[in-house]
Amino acid sequence: MSTRPTIYKGKTGQWAFVLHRISGFLILMFILLHIIDISTINFPSVYASIHRLYGNVFMRTFEVGLLFGLTYHALNGLRVIMIDFFPGVIKNEKRLFVAMFSLSLLLTVVGGVIILKPFFTGRV
Amino acid sequence: MALRERSFPSQRRNSTTMKRSKANFETWSWFFMRISGLILFFLALIHFSITHIFNDVTTTTVAFVAKRWANPLWRVFDWLLLALGLMHGSNGLRFIMDDYIRTPRRRAFAKAFMYSLSAALFVVGTITIVTYKGTL
Repeated sequence: MSTRPTIYKGKTGQWAFVLHRISGFLILMFILLHIIDISTINFPSVYASIHRLYGNVFMRTFEVGLLFGLTYHALNGLRVIMIDFFPGVIKNEKRLFVAMFSLSLLLTVVGGVIILKPFFTGRV
Repeated sequence: MALRERSFPSQRRNSTTMKRSKANFETWSWFFMRISGLILFFLALIHFSITHIFNDVTTTTVAFVAKRWANPLWRVFDWLLLALGLMHGSNGLRFIMDDYIRTPRRRAFAKAFMYSLSAALFVVGTITIVTYKGTL
């Protein structure tokens, strides 16, 4: 291990922060892409051909990743708000991180099954 | 204890020993991220549920969008998601740029590029939502 000190010394708070930052960045990149693809709505054939891509299995897997990013960023955001506004919450910061991370994982698995199912049942 | 040293506006301070810092741009930025985040929590998750969970992504065709946008309330919903999502996201990216881009020149260039791109996409998105005249 490096002897250089880090701000959080590699504890849960640091990982919560790193994941929050990465997921936020990736969600913003998707928003930029999404604004462009929806703007083709006035050209229905272009919209349809771009949109068909979202149905293939690679994009479906990507959508499951987006779901994890969204649910994690949303739930960890609530954790950050709770820590900032309620002084007592910092004592349960670690347990709260585990709870939020597990909940986002659970939502991703449930949503992921729904998103990927049409591929495995051969509907796409 | 880095966390204890951060001065958030919600922290109570002893007014005799410490003057309360004036609310500056960063204070409002901090507050904006909490409020917009709370609103986006609902907007983004509802939007994703509708377009990926309750409807399969392959059914969200032009007709699907036209039907939804026939109701102006959904246009307001989508426009709020666009505006708040872009503002929350670009402000977050501003934090990231402040942290990792070390020379002031590059930081200025990166931010100028980011602000221009976000503003352009905000205009594109707003035009798309407001001017769409789809037939069902």
